[in-house]
Amino acid sequence: MEECLVEYFRTQMRTDPDMASAVAAIRTLLEFLRRDKGETILGLRESLKWATDCLTEVDSSVAVSSGGELFLRFISLTSLEHQDLSRCKKVMEERGELFLEKISLSRTKVAKLCHTFIKDGAKILTHSSSRVVLRVLEKAAAEKKRFTVYVTESQPDTAGKQMADALRRLNVPVTVVLDAAVGYVLEKVDLVIVGAEGVVESGGIINKIGTYQMAVCSKAHNKPFYVVAESFKFVRLYPLNQQDVPDRFKYKADTLRTVSDLSDEHPMIDYTPPSLITLLFTDLGVLTPSAVSDELIKLYL
Amino acid sequence: MPGADKEADLTERIEAFLADLKRGGCGTGPIRGSGETARETTALLRKVTAQARWSSAGDLMEIIRKEGRRMTAAQPSETTVGNMVLRVLKIIREEYARSRGSSEETDQQESLHKLLTSGGLSDENFRQHYVHLKANVIEAINELLTELEGTTDNIAMQALEHIHSNEVIMTVGRSRTVEAFLKDAARKRKFHVIVAECAPFCQGHEMATNLSKASIETTVIADAAIFAVMSRVNKVIIGTQTVLANGGLRAVNGTHTVALAARHHSTPLIVCAPMFKLSPQFPNEEDTFHKFVSPHEVLPFTEGEILSKVNVHCPVFDYVPPELITLFISNIGGNAPSYIYRLMSELYHPEDHDL
Repeated sequence: MEECLVEYFRTQMRTDPDMASAVAAIRTLLEFLRRDKGETILGLRESLKWATDCLTEVDSSVAVSSGGELFLRFISLTSLEHQDLSRCKKVMEERGELFLEKISLSRTKVAKLCHTFIKDGAKILTHSSSRVVLRVLEKAAAEKKRFTVYVTESQPDTAGKQMADALRRLNVPVTVVLDAAVGYVLEKVDLVIVGAEGVVESGGIINKIGTYQMAVCSKAHNKPFYVVAESFKFVRLYPLNQQDVPDRFKYKADTLRTVSDLSDEHPMIDYTPPSLITLLFTDLGVLTPSAVSDELIKLYL
Repeated sequence: MPGADKEADLTERIEAFLADLKRGGCGTGPIRGSGETARETTALLRKVTAQARWSSAGDLMEIIRKEGRRMTAAQPSETTVGNMVLRVLKIIREEYARSRGSSEETDQQESLHKLLTSGGLSDENFRQHYVHLKANVIEAINELLTELEGTTDNIAMQALEHIHSNEVIMTVGRSRTVEAFLKDAARKRKFHVIVAECAPFCQGHEMATNLSKASIETTVIADAAIFAVMSRVNKVIIGTQTVLANGGLRAVNGTHTVALAARHHSTPLIVCAPMFKLSPQFPNEEDTFHKFVSPHEVLPFTEGEILSKVNVHCPVFDYVPPELITLFISNIGGNAPSYIYRLMSELYHPEDHDL
């Protein structure tokens, strides 16, 4: 059962490399829901929780966890309206499909909101590889704006190089810089745009390691720091500092399984507090960091 | 024919209003204050609602949007016109929802909750006809007009909470709202006001004259002296032309200087702005953000020799980022800049943000 689930998830990620990992997780959970033979709603919730845990063991990113929580919330909200399980399941399947359809449009909505903030002749700095940022830059390029991009190499997996290749294919002049060169390059740059793996309740973000550094430097240089993220990445965490981010998100799933002493490992993500973020572009609109918790409250309470 | 006469009359009024907008706001201070502009716009929109031919809310919204686009195109820097159009559109949506019987909160804003629970792609096309919709909308617009008339008084009423005896208050240029605010406090408290003259239009002089007529001790200083004097100031109270969606301001030039000086001395910066100045724009549109007027105020044309060798600019507005602002005082009370997004969601609907 577990292998089936994991296999489905992996296939989803493989067939569409452009799909966000949260969307793949939600799709997998929806398929799991369809095949589930449970008799009660409580049983359904239990099995879905188990399924989410299996998925987080495969891919320990914040996005998968937030996708799973969102799906569970979706189940709870739907089950409140319909008491009968079979009807409930039908409604859930329909709504699930609709939800997936809507969130497939979220990147386009984000790009539509964000590209107006990129002016002609702008120099943009971005971190590592983010598909949402790529979509925003695609839209800006399509609107015939001229801009240059600096991408950090983003060790340890040099994801920045992939971003640079994708941008070169769009004929955008791009330079790959060392992670250590962020402070050096910031005086030339007009704005900083990064993606996010998760948006936390305070309005801060969890993203690839090096984002916090970039945010602190942009604050020091008075450059606007924009975050682009879809709304399904909003997660119910409230870290106050780097230590507060749970270990299960910081390290890759394999590392968590094999290594006993985590203090020797390098974390893959960091937390950027909301005071360093200028604006968040989401499919729910352009939000200031203080507006994020409002959105989460509307959903979860 | 009375019908044709009324329509001609309406078109004439709109044309006159547009011409006035294009002419006005030439930098020597608006020929009409923004409060008056807001009231005129709303009155015009009420007339349009009453006289234009429409059968469903969708038609009315289209008509209002069309008129709104024309009015904002006449003077893009006068954002109160656009804001009032958005308010009226929101009123129409609310009245429509009320007529349908659905609660006001649903279908209003995009949210994660709505994404998860909606049963279908809601195509709210506002096509249904309701008999009482016209009367309801006009009544709601009348309420809006009453609110607009009372804004300055509502703001002035809060003055006593913020101004205490023997305080030194600084202000910039001339703002009718701040003038009323200070005059109201002066009835019960004795305090001192320092007005920065705000070159090159020097509206500060007029402000100082009006304040001293109300027996408030006033001092006028040059803009260059703002930083020097700031250490003696207890509070800075300013007005603004627009409040932007991120909590920043588009205010008269020189305001950013005052804000930075206040931040340096940890002096609270209070902005008195009525709700109709709140605009859903962000400060990214550089071409429409700034307005430049004739530079002869900066360097008169008589200095012909120098003029051929230098570039002279005379911008009217300044951007003040939200981090420098302590408090917004509006007709609905005091709010922090980080709360502006919430006030915006209550006043305007996100789909109307781009007219």
